[in-house]
Amino acid sequence: MKNIAYLFLAFVLIFSSCSEEEIPAQMTVELNFENTLNGKPLQLNSETFTLPSGEPFIAKKLKYYISNVVLTDTQSGAIYNVPNSYHLLGEDFKSTVELGMIPSANYDQITFSIGVDAEANAKTDQTGDLDPNNDMAWNWNSGYKFVVLEGEFTHKTTGERTGLVLHIGRNQNYKTVTQSLTGIRAGRAAQIQLKTVVDQLFLSPNALNASELPSTTIMGGELADKIGENYANGFITIE
Amino acid sequence: MRFLILGSGICLCGVLLFSCGAEESPIQEGPTLISLEKPDYFPAEQPMPAANPLTEEGVRLGRMLFYEKKLSKDGTISCASCHQQEKGFSDGLRVSPGVGGAQGTMNAMSLANLHWQTRFFWNGRSVTLEEQAIIPIEDPMEMNLPIQEAISRLQNDSDYPKLFSAAFGTEEVTAERIGKALAQFERTLISANSKFDRWIRGEVELTPEEQLGLELFFTHPEPSIQLRGGNCGDCHLGFLTAGDPNGFSGFHNNGLDPDERLKSGLQSVTGNAFDRGKFKAPGLRNIALTAPYMHDGRFSSLEEVLDHYNDHIQNSETLDVLILEASNEPQNPNDPVKLHLSEQEKKAIIAFLNTLTDQEFVTNPKFSNPFK
Repeated sequence: MKNIAYLFLAFVLIFSSCSEEEIPAQMTVELNFENTLNGKPLQLNSETFTLPSGEPFIAKKLKYYISNVVLTDTQSGAIYNVPNSYHLLGEDFKSTVELGMIPSANYDQITFSIGVDAEANAKTDQTGDLDPNNDMAWNWNSGYKFVVLEGEFTHKTTGERTGLVLHIGRNQNYKTVTQSLTGIRAGRAAQIQLKTVVDQLFLSPNALNASELPSTTIMGGELADKIGENYANGFITIE
Repeated sequence: MRFLILGSGICLCGVLLFSCGAEESPIQEGPTLISLEKPDYFPAEQPMPAANPLTEEGVRLGRMLFYEKKLSKDGTISCASCHQQEKGFSDGLRVSPGVGGAQGTMNAMSLANLHWQTRFFWNGRSVTLEEQAIIPIEDPMEMNLPIQEAISRLQNDSDYPKLFSAAFGTEEVTAERIGKALAQFERTLISANSKFDRWIRGEVELTPEEQLGLELFFTHPEPSIQLRGGNCGDCHLGFLTAGDPNGFSGFHNNGLDPDERLKSGLQSVTGNAFDRGKFKAPGLRNIALTAPYMHDGRFSSLEEVLDHYNDHIQNSETLDVLILEASNEPQNPNDPVKLHLSEQEKKAIIAFLNTLTDQEFVTNPKFSNPFK
């Protein structure tokens, strides 16, 4: 009789420990961005960096928008669209996006866009990270800068200190990126580490040589679109 | 009218009820919390410091301290001597006189919308308003009063101990409390009823000239795409027309001097050689009332300021890249830095700057001398 009681107790314990492992319906997810240049963490106002074309480079400002983040579990087909997803990130600025409590899934894919979508880009009377006080509204008529890099480099031919001002925007430069995720378990708090590789603004598919640029202020036109093509390609990646 | 007197009515009712009821002494009420009344187009995410919530009593005390001449060594000047309301809380002088004929080296900054700023003084040496507010009391070139002497003058005053008690719970006067009260008053100095504000709210139209000036103000020029700009909004950001509050991003070398004459500026705070000659980009609210201009007051008119940015930029190792790279005409690498605005465009920018004047702000009795 006693044995049966023990057996019963064991059964209860096993059962209850099983129920403790039930997957919670929600999980927290956080995106952490690290800005890098030359494979090192980016620092503003520091002279330890070079541009991909070889010039010594001092970065002064880096800011960019990530928007419309989507997490997908390709196995189950679960998709989570982050609502009102506009996130301004930058060096000496925000580096984390907290998605808060979201439905649990084994998310193995992230999709996001660099820039803001045409709808949000059509007005500047918005709040949060789209607040025009954030120094990213172009002016009152033409939406937002998507990616801003400002700095100075030593020009190869003139030897002069030369400013480099990249203000890239416009709807054609809204670029969507999809990346695989590993290690995310349904129900467990997840931190997704992303790396923002400043070098990629100058690398591919359009290699840009800073000392040969027709203008080192790039705020629109063909060159801006080339940089847009570049940042669609390996600018922000999962570590 | 610039701040909501939340709960003060409730508080008064409580006192009345008590006085109607028993003969017990009324329960000690804490200071009355109030909120800043700010337009919805000012940055939303800017909390009050937890250690210094805004209260009616704190603001009242801060206003008195702001106009209190006892806080200077010889009792001749107060904060308000160099920060005069009718001049947008500046003093109209190139540099400001202190007590005993002392002469400062810096132009008194105008005050408005300070709740959204970080890093105070032209070189950014104070991180908070609370910290900033008491420094001029001790500065030998300003009020020149040791803070202990300021404390004892207030502590031995017939009125101040009660006012400190109302604001902070006890009658004790401390340097920290003086700073907190001054900071609270300064946070209430919200300028948000200029023509520019009324335009933002859709209440008025700008003239065509003001409209052109606004567009130029907020545009960085790019001649290759025929985009003309005055390049002002790169440093004087958004609706506040003030410097970037993040880190040291709101400090710039705006080309006043060549390398050999650059003052240290922000470098004296950060120790970083790249910060040499950088000074705080001030908010431009009420700018037409706050001449002379720049950290050393070298320009007496807005016309001179526009001429500087258009034609007289001095290149140097730390000249801001957004100035170095800004021109309305295509440039060759070795050309001097020139913005190439037309006379009409410069006038338009000045017309826009004049829309930043807020008559209500400079005449608001809530900000005036309480001793008059």
